[in-house]
Amino acid sequence: MSRTTFTFAWASAPGELCGVVTDLSYLVERLRRITAEVADSKASLGSGVLWPAGYVVTNAHVVRGSRAVVRLVDGRRLEGQVIARDTDADLVLLRVLGTGIPAASVSDSAPVGSLVAAVGHPLGVRGALSVGIVHAVGPVRAGGRSWIQADVRLARGNSGGPLADASGQVIGLNTMVVGPLALAIPMREVACFLRMAGVRAS
Amino acid sequence: MSDLVAFSNGLAAAVQQTSQSIFGVTARRRTGSTGVHWRSGLVVTADHTVQTEDDILLTRPDGRSVSATLAGRDPTVDLAVLRVDAGDVPAARIGDSSAVQAGHIVLAIGEGPRASWGVVSSVASGRGGASRAVFDLDLTLYPGFSGGPLVDVSGQVIGINTSGASRSQHLAIPAAVVDGLLDGLQRRGHIPRPYLGVSTQPVRLPDALRQRFSLEQASAVIVVAVQPASPAAEGGLMIGDVLVALGGASIADPMDLRRVLQPDRVGESLVASVIRGGEPHDLHLRVGERSR
Repeated sequence: MSRTTFTFAWASAPGELCGVVTDLSYLVERLRRITAEVADSKASLGSGVLWPAGYVVTNAHVVRGSRAVVRLVDGRRLEGQVIARDTDADLVLLRVLGTGIPAASVSDSAPVGSLVAAVGHPLGVRGALSVGIVHAVGPVRAGGRSWIQADVRLARGNSGGPLADASGQVIGLNTMVVGPLALAIPMREVACFLRMAGVRAS
Repeated sequence: MSDLVAFSNGLAAAVQQTSQSIFGVTARRRTGSTGVHWRSGLVVTADHTVQTEDDILLTRPDGRSVSATLAGRDPTVDLAVLRVDAGDVPAARIGDSSAVQAGHIVLAIGEGPRASWGVVSSVASGRGGASRAVFDLDLTLYPGFSGGPLVDVSGQVIGINTSGASRSQHLAIPAAVVDGLLDGLQRRGHIPRPYLGVSTQPVRLPDALRQRFSLEQASAVIVVAVQPASPAAEGGLMIGDVLVALGGASIADPMDLRRVLQPDRVGESLVASVIRGGEPHDLHLRVGERSR
């Protein structure tokens, strides 16, 4: 039976991991641009993913009211209006008015074992990066909801923020933490919610 | 393609490839565990997850179930070997665990497949010689991961993960230890259970005694029972003897004794250093085999 051998030619001496390290710092900058800080008066600070045309997607448990303050990485604070809400799916769509707002590019999923990066505001730390791998894709318990399960350390404040693959494509919306596991809503489900709300997926 | 993407793809490929050679293991109540198809028809898993010798059910990578039998076990290193008709499930690619160093990035894989990643925190040679080495891991062993493969970034299996019976540890048994156990199993047809015929209890060593005999250990074991006609009895071990070393390894507690008595030691003559009546004695004990 033929098998592929994966070799990491660069990983044989110290210093040769520089490419990975540099790529990671680019990745965090790229993800910070498309990650918003979302605060409503009732709930604690959360995160959100920027969508084209001034839309922001986040968790319903992050925005309980009809509006929220959306802060971009450039420091702009914009008034966000809730356009659609699906409490069961734990998703909310906000709209902000502004120009030159970046938008995430998305991907359906990533294979088990591949790297994932999350950016958010865990415990109030702005724009914090967490890196891990995809643990599994599917329900945590038989018959439950399908998640992207990631072996990555997240905390309160990451909710609603992006889980992205190594190329910066957003594959999920960070939503829950179960022990050491982070659970993200798959982008397919987010896109479905957006379609229902009349917004085209990017 | 960026280096980061290449690295990510390599990790995913390592998981995908290894997952073709792992089985789900159902041999205890509640949580199942994971096993690695190590050699043709032999699946290795963590011994503490095998609580039944009959009705062991394995789940192939394609989801089909197949029954297995216990081929042998070595609780001292937490390894069990199951015999199964593996069909077209390929054996895993086994790597060189002696090349593993602290800091190496590794993946732990469980049935599903599910995966976690981290680094080797230390390579402990442990007490009782190099073959006792374990890898301490800085990664999460999720429920069901015990018995599963520890995989390096090139996709080779370098160990068997175990959270131990306490579930709080994050360890891996190096591939070389597994290979040694399987070599013995294939040579003998079974994994022998070493036997001395002695019961011991831990005992603190007075400072005066430690100084007099230049002992670093703070404790040893005292012999509280010797079975008649056992290797211990034939070697001259007596109730009340304080056993401080066996086969060159210091014995600080009864667990150390178990660690020395590995399957490959059966038939070997070991020097037992004892203190009897305040005087040192060296006895020669030939390790026996417990009947099956």
